[in-house]
Amino acid sequence: MPGLRLTLQAVPPERVDLSPLTPDRIAGRSRAEVAALPLASGNRSLRVDAVFKLAGDPGPELVIEGDGSRLDRIGEAMTQGSIRLRGNAGAWLGVGMCGGTIEVEGSAGAYAGSGMQGGLLHVHQHAGDFLAAAAPGDHQGMRGGVLVVSGNAGARAGDRMRRGTLIIDGDVGDCCASRMVAGTIAVGGAVGRNAGLAMRRGTLLLRRPPAALLPTFNDCGVQVVPILRLLARAWRGLPGPFASLSAGDLRARRSMGDLANGGRGEILILLPD
Amino acid sequence: MLLRLKGGRCYDPAHGVDGVVRDLFVRDGVIIEPPPPGTRIEREIDLSGRVVMAGAIDMHTHIGGGKLNIARAMLPEDHRADPVAATAITRPSAGRAAPGTLATGYRYAEMGYTACFEPAILPVNARQAHMEMGDTPIVDKGGYVMLGSDDFLLRLLAAGAEQQLINDYVAWILNATHCIGIKVVNPGGISAFKFNQRRMDLDEQHPRYGVTPRDILRVLSRAVHELGVPHPLHVHSSNLGLPGNVDTTLGTIQASEGLPIHLTHIQFHSYGTEGDRKFSSAAARIAEAINATPNATCDVGQVLFGQTVTASGDSMAQHRNSGLANPGKFVIMDIECDAGCGVLPFKYRDQNFVNALQWAIGLEIFLLVQDPWRVFLTTDHPNGAPFTSYPHLIRLLMDRSFRKDRLAAINPAAQALTTLGTLDREYTLYEIAILTRAAPARLLGIASLGHLGPGAAADITVYRDDADRERMFAAPEYVFKDGELVVEQGRIVKLTWGRYHAVRPDYDRGIERRLREYCERYLTIRADHLRITEEEMHAFGHGAAVVPHPCRARS
Ligand SMILES: [Zn+2]
Repeated sequence: MPGLRLTLQAVPPERVDLSPLTPDRIAGRSRAEVAALPLASGNRSLRVDAVFKLAGDPGPELVIEGDGSRLDRIGEAMTQGSIRLRGNAGAWLGVGMCGGTIEVEGSAGAYAGSGMQGGLLHVHQHAGDFLAAAAPGDHQGMRGGVLVVSGNAGARAGDRMRRGTLIIDGDVGDCCASRMVAGTIAVGGAVGRNAGLAMRRGTLLLRRPPAALLPTFNDCGVQVVPILRLLARAWRGLPGPFASLSAGDLRARRSMGDLANGGRGEILILLPD
Repeated sequence: MLLRLKGGRCYDPAHGVDGVVRDLFVRDGVIIEPPPPGTRIEREIDLSGRVVMAGAIDMHTHIGGGKLNIARAMLPEDHRADPVAATAITRPSAGRAAPGTLATGYRYAEMGYTACFEPAILPVNARQAHMEMGDTPIVDKGGYVMLGSDDFLLRLLAAGAEQQLINDYVAWILNATHCIGIKVVNPGGISAFKFNQRRMDLDEQHPRYGVTPRDILRVLSRAVHELGVPHPLHVHSSNLGLPGNVDTTLGTIQASEGLPIHLTHIQFHSYGTEGDRKFSSAAARIAEAINATPNATCDVGQVLFGQTVTASGDSMAQHRNSGLANPGKFVIMDIECDAGCGVLPFKYRDQNFVNALQWAIGLEIFLLVQDPWRVFLTTDHPNGAPFTSYPHLIRLLMDRSFRKDRLAAINPAAQALTTLGTLDREYTLYEIAILTRAAPARLLGIASLGHLGPGAAADITVYRDDADRERMFAAPEYVFKDGELVVEQGRIVKLTWGRYHAVRPDYDRGIERRLREYCERYLTIRADHLRITEEEMHAFGHGAAVVPHPCRARS
């Protein structure tokens, strides 16, 4: 696919705000113009070509190569096109993303997918704390789109999530789905303590039973959950094992909570079929 | 160094100078008489074709103190959305509705403002407020200290204390807190709120102390007058925001019994109950009363559309409005025995009937109050709009066709209930210079500010004349603070820290024993620690001096 390739010259000494570089924001500019764009780094401003070597020309695809652990806000509010990171991403990956695709071959830092509204964000390895969570002061975390983490995620994944699909194939830390308002979270591995803390609505789907559920979740027994069939159909084609959920009758142990906060959320623990 | 600012068109209402081309001479930070011919001029700047005014003064802007810090903490989105980048000489900051101290100072200076007065300093929070104001660069600062719902005063009133004792208390507070005036917010109402009262009218008795808001206004305006504090009692009236509060406001004007009284953000207190929705403009009645009452002044508290945050000591009114918070979060809190505060984010929308009518009411007041020396240009930052919208407000006042275009775009039901479309008055540059320079300096009793005559601090703002007054007032070409060029072409070129303005009225030290006992028994802080030392003020203000302005005691 035609596009610009940015290769990190070295790991930057300070964090760099990469939000100006999304395919839609640099569309129609020449490579030289992109090279001269300012990037905020600490209290300084750096030219793009002081951080990266540039190849190719701006197009629908943007490729970033190197260890981007200090590159923050990659793909912020992007609406179309695709970004591929051949390495790690820093914090706030895909924050407020509205459309398009972001693929991270490595891991992502904290707050990946925070305030995300649309598009597909896939982290091949791990994600940090506050995945798809609300930024401090905000009332909503992820609000739409699909976010897949093939590895593990940290604490507070899906905090104040409002809509959309969050899939974590590996383990997830404490307080997953805390203060969740709506939407769907699926976890393939182990889940930490206090899952669903202050959850209002929404679905947390677990493949493995947690060590303990909060006492404010009410066990509703084993049920056939018809919505799972629709989910299985919708997830086909996504990366990872949740794409091949059996489309037959899916049974799950259902608990409703958090009763301390309305109690209309659910934790579904899948039973082997 | 002798600096000549050559050939600018000067607007200096304090001296009746209306657009006269003349040279200004500045030495050691002060404007001086033209020196004798042959005197060596070290620096000269040609201002031909430029509009020259004294630095602007915002006489009512919430820039420091507890509630602003709560607003800052509550609104990280305001800071994220509006970063102020560092330059070689300025530091990074952020925020528009609740800006950090640095952004506040930089942006005021970039708009040609050189002095700001924080209107709601609580005695128990004064130290914190002065720390924040001291960290606000370039502009001069001052504060009004808030009394009227403090238990100490209410106890004195309930016990029938003599006026002299009240005067001593008021003077002690002014000295202890390094403030320049006394503010009263919803007199007695903030205290009544703690006794579960949710409304308080002017002649309603306090549920515990039995005193009425009118009693409090009378006693405090008399104290301010007898102590000779130049700034009149600064009054945020009862019943803020309630339809029909115009009667309370008119009663409040009378409550000072002929003594000087300043009514702040009067727009929020000028509502009638006419029309289908029982909410209407009473601006005409208010303006008529102001026009007929020479001892009364007001600032408008103009509403402008957009996102902001309301931060007020009036916990009663803020509690009433808490359901309107947007985004939906708010803080209502008690502050010891002093007062309270309420902070809630708010979005004024031009298609909302009430918001649109509030916008129109503010402009009606500006246009109907005849004497520009008695109406002041404020948005009650950030309550009606952030201070950065002043240039837009100035254009609304100066440009009739712009104003009418804006009026045609607001909620139609509100358009039908305002007389704004029939008001053809356009403010002149001379009048804008009165509203934003000469009049506030006079009302505060600060002889060195707000004018361009010899002896004035060389706080000078130079604008490019531009028919688009919004563009003109948004980015002055030069701003001088105490004779130093601090802003050039809209950018900060030098960092200074301004000074504090205060008053130090005399008092009988007998009051201190009572205060010590009271603080020891009821407050978390001792009377001797309430008092802020001058050394502390210097430290807060990056070495800034506290300038006391004279009080002429009367009795
Ligand atoms: Zn105010």
